[in-house]
Amino acid sequence: MTLTERSTLGTVVAVVSAALRRHRVPAVLTGGACASLYTDGRYMSADMDFILIGPATQAGLDAALGSIGFGRRGDRYVHARTRFYVEFPRGPIAIGGDYRVAPVERRTRFGRFLLLSPTDACRDRLAAFYHWNDRQSLEVAVAIARRHRLRMDGIRRWSVAERSADRFAEFLQELRRAGTRRARRGRALGARAGLRS
Amino acid sequence: MVVNSSSPFGAQTRTRVLLALTLLGDSYPRELSRVLQLPLSGVQRALQSLERDGLVAGRSAGRTRLFRLEPRYFAFEALQAFLRRLTEPESELRTRVTTLRRRPRRTRKPL
Repeated sequence: MTLTERSTLGTVVAVVSAALRRHRVPAVLTGGACASLYTDGRYMSADMDFILIGPATQAGLDAALGSIGFGRRGDRYVHARTRFYVEFPRGPIAIGGDYRVAPVERRTRFGRFLLLSPTDACRDRLAAFYHWNDRQSLEVAVAIARRHRLRMDGIRRWSVAERSADRFAEFLQELRRAGTRRARRGRALGARAGLRS
Repeated sequence: MVVNSSSPFGAQTRTRVLLALTLLGDSYPRELSRVLQLPLSGVQRALQSLERDGLVAGRSAGRTRLFRLEPRYFAFEALQAFLRRLTEPESELRTRVTTLRRRPRRTRKPL
């Protein structure tokens, strides 16, 4: 599979993951790229953060990514044909204080890869909202929650542990508001369609 | 450079930067360099490596990069408690930090 300017994030992730697997480098996709995949590109992220879950050497990473045309520039791997780049933040995989994170597998026609579950991708964004007051992350967390069935009780418990119960309440409020806005838009579209017919 | 204190986070500068951030909350490289009396380039290198390790995080405020301990780090609370303990005997550093004015000052108010 040759990467091009038109390759989507999902395709690039699958190709990178396949290359890592071929070179026996076990890794999990985390961060903004997961949010991007779970919001169907509504939130765009150009960086693919892979956390290594097994032993790997710099030479091994260079060889794996070099085999698909990525070259190392500082801490990141870039490709001439795609704007998506790869980084390997230090592990463990953790969301706030919770390091018991179980990745899920996603299958595409270009291969399968491990990534955060929708619930964990949502928590990951909420962590940025809770601790950095990043409202963009709140919006993305809401967008993930609107598209996926999440384990809300687990998110609530984790939010309490992060001392952010009030912020979790704000998240729920935003989620309800987004639902109302969508329902209103749906009714308006329905009414317009009714007028036309 | 203080060489007689322990350095559990690798190079002395890394440990000193973490101690200063613990006392200051957030800070920028030049301020850290002044407080720690260390060369700016060394402080910048230490911040980069601590950022790579996920122990500190920086955000842009205008043209300045503001750094603090990363609150999303999985062992943040334990790390903070450890660093607080490590700052206790650092009387010289504590004194230098207390000489910094950090409270707001109305724009154009004379000193």
